[in-house]
Amino acid sequence: MNNGSLSSRSRRLLRHSTTFLCCAVFAVAAIPSAPLAQAAEDTSGETDARVDALELAGALSNDGYKIRDGHWSGTFKAGDAPVLAVNLYAGNQYYFSLAATDKAKKVAVTVFDENGKLLAGELISRDNERPLAAAGVAPEASGPYYVRVQLLEGQPADFCLICTYK
Amino acid sequence: MNAGGLPRTQGEGTRAVRRADGGGLRAYLRGVSIVIISMLASARHLSYNRRTMRIFWPSPLPLALLAGAALFSGVGPAAARAEQTAAPAPPPATLTAAQMSGAVSIDAMSVPTPGELFAALGKQIKPNWSAAYRGPLTAAYSDRAQLALNLGGLVADGYVAVEAQDSQQVKNLGKDILKLASSLGVSKEILERGKRITDFAEQNDWNGLREELEATQNEVKQAMEAKRDDELITLVSLGGWIRGTQVVSDAVLKNFTPQTASVLRQPAVVAFLRAKLDKLPARLQDEPLIKKLSAQLADIEKLVSFPLGGTASKEDVQKLNQQTTAMVNDIVTKI
Repeated sequence: MNNGSLSSRSRRLLRHSTTFLCCAVFAVAAIPSAPLAQAAEDTSGETDARVDALELAGALSNDGYKIRDGHWSGTFKAGDAPVLAVNLYAGNQYYFSLAATDKAKKVAVTVFDENGKLLAGELISRDNERPLAAAGVAPEASGPYYVRVQLLEGQPADFCLICTYK
Repeated sequence: MNAGGLPRTQGEGTRAVRRADGGGLRAYLRGVSIVIISMLASARHLSYNRRTMRIFWPSPLPLALLAGAALFSGVGPAAARAEQTAAPAPPPATLTAAQMSGAVSIDAMSVPTPGELFAALGKQIKPNWSAAYRGPLTAAYSDRAQLALNLGGLVADGYVAVEAQDSQQVKNLGKDILKLASSLGVSKEILERGKRITDFAEQNDWNGLREELEATQNEVKQAMEAKRDDELITLVSLGGWIRGTQVVSDAVLKNFTPQTASVLRQPAVVAFLRAKLDKLPARLQDEPLIKKLSAQLADIEKLVSFPLGGTASKEDVQKLNQQTTAMVNDIVTKI
């Protein structure tokens, strides 16, 4: 039931408030929905990741593991799952140690056989700042295997993967 | 085993956590904004009864907008919190064929070192490693491709000496590696490595030596890359792989069992090396030595590509040994 209308002063106030709120809505809508754009990282990020991966691999070398000098570095984002092809020998034990720069919060590394089947093994992880992960496997057959690295949580980041064996 | 006190779990796969991207919160803010705007849009139709101090909604449209906004906003703050703490979906437990065929192969990680192969073999048999020594290289090579191949072969010889725990042989090979690197113009970069090889050999630090040999080889490759000699990098890896396979096939032949022979299975490595050879510049591919090695690799690929769960027959191991011995002889014979 209408009992009179708003005064002109109130209408002006309302108009201004509406304009302000419209601007606020557009500002909220402009927030990107997901940080998919890859930030430009310099190579120092990969170096930092390599230092961390070497540190993790170094801890394993106390148990007789030899660190391979080579490494695999790159940049990944959530949803990516880069895969590296390697050759492993039956009888050896391997650890694949993964580190990422501090934009990442949680990472994972997993090993698969040549049929794409997950290889059971020991998993190590440290989340949040400069996350780490490692997968330890003892293949029963020599031949090709695949190592998958993943960014499970966080912003796109540099990563480094190192292999140790004994 | 405790690697730096990190938490460890046994078993398959890793738990995936859905990433917290704030999507729920943004949706909530959008919904609230729409509610406020719809209220204001219809404000001119509001009437205020000064006597009763009640506001009347004259039209059902704003109410419909309110209801739509509430639905559209999706999740409120409570739901946003629930999303962030919801149980994560585990990552897929298998790789697809597309993922496997799209896998990256790189020289530094996809080609195993002779040390890995020797370590695997050493767990099954005790080869007479010193019987695998060969005499020092006497030729003064001028062809850079041949130099690179021989450099790889010498690094493999270093691993043999480490397995034999022969520090003098390691030191001798260290000097030979430095000499060949000098001919390639990369000795300055590995001078320090040469000293470390000698130090580790004198301390009988065999694990350190295995790491140092690979590091030396990689440093040579990096120096080649810096000098824009990238094609030689493949040849260093190839030379090392051929020599390592020659040594192992000989040891397997002398101690043959199906299980021992199965260690020779490495089809992907040969495929990778062949692919790399195919990408060499035409002037290198046309060199007689490279052409010959390429053809021989095609035969070798068949010998090391037996099925998963299978093994190589003694005849195949013998063929493999003969083939790799012929290749090593071709590599060391001055062009």
